[in-house]
Amino acid sequence: MTERQPLRCDVLVIGGGAAGVAAAAELALAGLSVELAEQRDALGGAYHRQPAGRPTAVHARGRRQWSRLVDAFARAGIAPRLRHVFLGLDSDGLAMLDDRAEGRVLVVRPRALVIAVGAIERVLPRPGWQLPGVMTAGGLQMILKEGGSPPPGDILIAGNGPLTIALAADLARLGHPPVALIEAGDPFARPAAALRLAAYPGLVAEAAGHLARVFASPTPWLRGERLTAIEPRNGRLAATIRDRRGATRTLAADLIALHDGIRPNDFGLPANEESDIVVVRAGDCREALGIRAAIADGRHAARQVIALLTQGPSIADDDAVLRQRRAQAVLGDLFRPIDGADPLAALPDETILCRCEGRTFSELRAMLAEGELSPREIRLNGRFGMGLCQGRFCADNVLHLIAAARPGDPAEPPMRLARDRWPARPVSIAALAADDDEQRES
Amino acid sequence: MDGRGGKSVVVVGAGIVGAASAYFLAQSGFRVRLIEAKAPAAAASGAADGAVSVASKRPGPMMTTALAGIALYRQLDEEGLFAGLFKQRPTVMVAEDESEVESLTGHADALAGEGMALRRIEGEALRRYLPDVSSGVRLAIEVGNEGHAIGYEIVRRLIAASGVAVERDTTVHGLVESASGRSVAAVATSRGRVEADHFVIAAGGGSADLIGLSGIVRPRKGQLAVTERSPTLNAALPGALMSCRYLLSKDAIAGAAGTAARRFGLVVDPLRTGQFLIGGTREETADTGNDLAAIRHMLASAVRLLPPLARLRVIRVFSGVRSATRDGLPIIGRMPGRDNLVVATGFEGDGICLGPLVGQAVGRIVAGVPSELDLRPFAPDRFGQRSLVA
Ligand SMILES: Cc1cc2nc3c(=O)[nH]c(=O)nc-3n(C[C@H](O)[C@H](O)[C@H](O)COP(=O)(O)OP(=O)(O)OC[C@H]3O[C@@H](n4cnc5c(N)ncnc54)[C@H](O)[C@@H]3O)c2cc1C
Ligand SMILES: Cc1cc2nc3c(=O)[nH]c(=O)nc-3n(C[C@H](O)[C@H](O)[C@H](O)COP(=O)(O)OP(=O)(O)OC[C@H]3O[C@@H](n4cnc5c(N)ncnc54)[C@H](O)[C@@H]3O)c2cc1C
Repeated sequence: MTERQPLRCDVLVIGGGAAGVAAAAELALAGLSVELAEQRDALGGAYHRQPAGRPTAVHARGRRQWSRLVDAFARAGIAPRLRHVFLGLDSDGLAMLDDRAEGRVLVVRPRALVIAVGAIERVLPRPGWQLPGVMTAGGLQMILKEGGSPPPGDILIAGNGPLTIALAADLARLGHPPVALIEAGDPFARPAAALRLAAYPGLVAEAAGHLARVFASPTPWLRGERLTAIEPRNGRLAATIRDRRGATRTLAADLIALHDGIRPNDFGLPANEESDIVVVRAGDCREALGIRAAIADGRHAARQVIALLTQGPSIADDDAVLRQRRAQAVLGDLFRPIDGADPLAALPDETILCRCEGRTFSELRAMLAEGELSPREIRLNGRFGMGLCQGRFCADNVLHLIAAARPGDPAEPPMRLARDRWPARPVSIAALAADDDEQRES
Repeated sequence: MDGRGGKSVVVVGAGIVGAASAYFLAQSGFRVRLIEAKAPAAAASGAADGAVSVASKRPGPMMTTALAGIALYRQLDEEGLFAGLFKQRPTVMVAEDESEVESLTGHADALAGEGMALRRIEGEALRRYLPDVSSGVRLAIEVGNEGHAIGYEIVRRLIAASGVAVERDTTVHGLVESASGRSVAAVATSRGRVEADHFVIAAGGGSADLIGLSGIVRPRKGQLAVTERSPTLNAALPGALMSCRYLLSKDAIAGAAGTAARRFGLVVDPLRTGQFLIGGTREETADTGNDLAAIRHMLASAVRLLPPLARLRVIRVFSGVRSATRDGLPIIGRMPGRDNLVVATGFEGDGICLGPLVGQAVGRIVAGVPSELDLRPFAPDRFGQRSLVA
């Protein structure tokens, strides 16, 4: 075979966020050869990616920690492969990286793989959520962090959980506060959780900083309210907001950022039991515990990889990770939606469930009425989870609806609906085919 | 089960063959139970290309049967059962170099000898007919009256129309003989015994073990890729593009260390959705992995033939396992020595095309009605096995 030989290394780390960089530095320090692939133009991930030369929302301690990490990473001599999108592991144990700059797929044969690709943002379907001008809070955050200025016009942020506050604070700091911040929970109505949060002064300080910014801005923080529908009106978006007593009103905006929490990312990534490769997950993609846990979890993953490669003793859980797990539970309580009803149960039939393929609730409900279809049949015949995102954004919701329609059945893991085959992302045929120079012979 | 009181039949396997058998049996008044280890179309029928085609066949019983298979697709499409699921389109076989032109010409002569509708397209006309195809293509043979159907969609339609409730997650472990030893009394399943008057084994790759044909049916894996939508390029292609290179058995790449070389037969099929399905490999294995080497080679060949494909993105790859018999012909018919047992398996790369037809034939065999098809070449006893029930 004249094919280019795969690049060999001990460990391939996927993701240049806090967890990935921490894991890579630790592994290199232990003397292993390490490659790191990051799909974007710079390291930093969802939290530390920074626009060049602009003030940053990251608190000073976090900033110092990150710059120490990046220094260690650089000293270890790792040249990160930026703009390399991990596509998955093939059945021969080869890792495929879509090198977007070169337009070809780089093939790596690692002994171990650390997957640190970050969390997936949850967004609950609502009528109109597929309209242009509606995006995820994470997507908007990314625009800000990669140096773009805030999009013009009125921005409305809606959803659930503490991360929306960080985004609102960022926008306020950039002189572009959102018109409103809609929050399904109400931390002020959860005093017991608030008390327990006091055990995590770092979190409290960070939250207080963000909140102070929001309160100093004209942005109202509307708690115990839900954004229930969006429709186009006069070239803008009209959002229906329902408060805790059920009263509704309309807010107009040019851009709406939605966010209903984050979930671990186990989609389209190898669960390749047959291959001899050690696969360890780290950071938010393993368990969404936030930035404080990500670095510790990255290091922990590195130690785990070393133990697995050397058949050493197994590694105990990391204290910092355990602590953040408790902290996240408290945050979960603090932000628990005031309206406890299932937000998917009452959605109108024509609501889009899968945005890639434009599939609606009524189409799923009709299939569920047919009988005990398996998730695979629902996927293939209903085309839920068949689109470009491969189910990353609809699988949870579809499975939730399946479970609701079949009380008593065991819940199906999301993987039954999404795909575990490569490519995890669409990849150009030109890039995939680039290096085929097999001899054709019989 | 309904209370109509007809004879009862257990069909094992809800792939396209089992689903079609259940449909035709239910149509003729049988009480049908359809028992499936996983879910409908969980195996080959849900992981196939769906060419409903004879273009690549050589004259013989498979060609005759495939032609009848296509005719039935057209009929069921017109009658409404397959409405919206059967895309009629020609198959366009193309040749690049001298030896390919020669073998394609020979192949076309053979097809024409069977009375098939063909068009031979060359030179300027070829450029107009296939504007996007590589300039290396020198000859195209258009085989008309063919089509494409997605296996899992056909399976779903057949099951819905049969009114039979599939018994999912129920594995048949074996057959239980009747006291006389001349027939089957029941199947033993993971949920207990199921008795019936008749039994149909349509369990694809799971059939051989149930009827003692283990050495005779072998797995043959195929890998396929699906692109994103590209309505313009899709619309500019008159039909499925098939390289005739496989006629020369020329295209192969090495398998993973220690495994046999893998053969390729390149087909680029424009789907109803505007996507393209690109296939496929033939590999002597039952694993269902997708390896880069095979997919890459397949895509590179596809781009060489249809250069604008390079711009598109692949959104999925998958693989399925065909059931291939030792002599390349399917196994259809009554099992010798077992009066009430019918088997239909071993369709290798043709089960989507043949499935509805075979289901209809199975219905007739069970009912004891003479078949319009000549099924003798497919007789289960042709392998001369001594004991057929394991
Ligand atoms: C809107 C928002 C606001 C937030 N605000 C806060 C906050 O105020 N405080 C706080 O503690 N936490 C906050 N977080 C959470 C915090 O960002 C994460 O906990 C942290 O970044 C997790 O680090 P990580 O390394 O696990 O993942 P990430 O930082 O997400 O890094 C993952 C990296 O992997 C890359 N990647 C993903 N897929 C691939 C692929 N296939 N190939 C190659 N590379 C890939 C991504 O580009 C990314 O750089 C916020 C998150 C969001 C979305
Ligand atoms: C990659 C690929 C490409 C193909 N392309 C084409 C094409 O273009 N045109 C064409 O006509 N054909 C094509 N085929 C062939 C076609 O898919 C098969 O011939 C056809 O699907 C076989 O159908 P079946 O019903 O016999 O078997 P299957 O679809 O395999 O169904 C058998 C069913 O039986 C079940 N089962 C197995 N064992 C048991 C048991 N013990 N108890 C209960 N249930 C059991 C299985 O779970 C399965 O659902 C292709 C196949 C592959 C793999």
